[in-house]
Amino acid sequence: MRGLQLPLTQTQKVRLQRALEKLEALLSKANSNASVTVADTIPVNYDDAFLKGHGTTEHNGEVVATVCGVVERVNKLIYVRTLRARYKPEVGDIIVGRVIEVAPKRWRLDINYSQDAVLMLSSINMPDGIQRRRTAEDELNMRSIFEENDVLCAEVRGFQHDGLHLQARSQKYGKLQRGQLLSIPPYIVKRQKQHWHYLEEYGIDLILGCNGFVWVGEHVETKDEMLVDQDKPESQTSKTNDYSMSLESREHTYTPLETRQNICRIANAIRVLSMLGFIVTIEVVMEVVNLGVSQNMDTHEMLGSEFCVLVAEREAERRSQKRTRGN
Amino acid sequence: MNGLSLGEKLFIQGGIAQDLRSDGRKRLTYRPIYVETGIIPQANGSARVRMGGTDVIASVKAEIGRPSPVQPNKGKVSIYVDCSPTAAPMFEGRGAEELSTEVSVTLQRCLLGGKSGAGAGIDLSSLIVVEGKVCWDLYIDGLVVSSDGNLLDALSAAIKAALSNTGIPRVHVAAEASGEDQPELEISDEEFLQFDTSGVPVIVTLTKVGRHYIVDATSEEESETSSAVSVSINRKGLICGLTKRGGAGLDPSVILDMISVAKHVSEQLMDRLDSEISASTITCSIRQCHMWLGNVFKLLSSPATQIEEGM
Repeated sequence: MRGLQLPLTQTQKVRLQRALEKLEALLSKANSNASVTVADTIPVNYDDAFLKGHGTTEHNGEVVATVCGVVERVNKLIYVRTLRARYKPEVGDIIVGRVIEVAPKRWRLDINYSQDAVLMLSSINMPDGIQRRRTAEDELNMRSIFEENDVLCAEVRGFQHDGLHLQARSQKYGKLQRGQLLSIPPYIVKRQKQHWHYLEEYGIDLILGCNGFVWVGEHVETKDEMLVDQDKPESQTSKTNDYSMSLESREHTYTPLETRQNICRIANAIRVLSMLGFIVTIEVVMEVVNLGVSQNMDTHEMLGSEFCVLVAEREAERRSQKRTRGN
Repeated sequence: MNGLSLGEKLFIQGGIAQDLRSDGRKRLTYRPIYVETGIIPQANGSARVRMGGTDVIASVKAEIGRPSPVQPNKGKVSIYVDCSPTAAPMFEGRGAEELSTEVSVTLQRCLLGGKSGAGAGIDLSSLIVVEGKVCWDLYIDGLVVSSDGNLLDALSAAIKAALSNTGIPRVHVAAEASGEDQPELEISDEEFLQFDTSGVPVIVTLTKVGRHYIVDATSEEESETSSAVSVSINRKGLICGLTKRGGAGLDPSVILDMISVAKHVSEQLMDRLDSEISASTITCSIRQCHMWLGNVFKLLSSPATQIEEGM
């Protein structure tokens, strides 16, 4: 069952298997000839010139796939796009990353890619929001903007000679606080028009990073942040003092319980989807959250096997409905 | 694993203070526990326990040995835990050595009882075959496959499950030897003695974060730990072992409070574990049944039997 490791009872196992079979049946109708497994022959017109790309090799005069995935053809090039692969950045991707090093004029970020990404000091908007030259003083104060281990949101700018570069030239990018970071397989996050989601009814920001890092946190008004950033010196000192504050006074700054409940619910919905390997989009996440609410599930029960099976069944139903409506 | 940012740390601490942790659990709720028994065919007993992202395997191997001269009427049990380098990047090389020794020592203290072997969770005198000459040596090995916090509880649960799955072959002493000679033994292949595991304790680790304590901490929560108290408690509700980790001091009254909470939690954990063990034993025997049936079918459909039928 796709390596799904859940304590299932016999009936749950049967139900899950049925749901997955239903899903598979729906899939195979969609594109059966484009998907290949290892050692499948890729049909090629041998009269034309062609280029063997990633995931292909020649064996006994035939082009054969060496990975599982979907065959893609671009002009002469034939390659296999793998279904489960490490994240591969594309220009313009919205990603969530974690700072691992503060280096001269740049931050190095872990973005779930085979290399670390670089965020230059010159490719962020300074907290005061003004476009200006970055001075040596700014360089010395880099830790006051992003520290090691900080989670932040940025956009892929492109490959330069020294690696992958990011940029954060807008108020919506930047440091993420008061929330939790989830790590899910990157192939279940599809590139979309919108990766930021402000869920008004819950007061939550949800960022589905293309690199498989998902941020679920309390909503932050971008405008407010600017105002706060304007009187930066005070806010910075108060922020650094945050941790050393006494427990009592820190408790006042905690996320409100209701918001936290919603954050946890949404996070668990995403965890369930990633466990099942379903595509994570905002619609599906909200549907899972609502399913949990309608089933009167406690937030932590959403990670149990019963809910998992329910989600799988619901997804199968949803996709088959979509199909009949489409026809 | 990378560290956590300040915002995330505060979020985790706030969640624990508000009794709603990052995955929606309350402070004293465990993650779903999944127990599988009999996963290693070569071992006398084995079990795999999963608690969320934590995945551990325990196996029990019984070998014929000689009892130590100091305790001629008791068998020997040794516990060793290994952390797989695949579990976490920090376990690579010799990184896991410290952790595995620490966990092994804690488990030995909690499960094996005193120097004399008295008061152990496992009844050592049941391991004796011929007093002073032959006994069973039990080797309990734990393997951490994947680590997401709360290793000690998971390992103790796995060991308990593995011991309840253990069958020790019945030994028939063929000829009583005199003097120093070792007696001749016949080890049965079919008859197995089940082990009494009712005395084996479970470990409940209470992790203190801020002013509150939680059970079954994930690795993220563990990174925020000031101190942790592991209490091993048996069926009767008696404390078999107590370990404290982390440098921060604890008030004695807090420790007493923690112990009583641990006792309460351990009852639930024990019940859940027992039901999981019995459930997995059933599926295990179903699997064996399937295998047996499969073999019967294979035999029936093999050419030899067909020829016999033809004749």
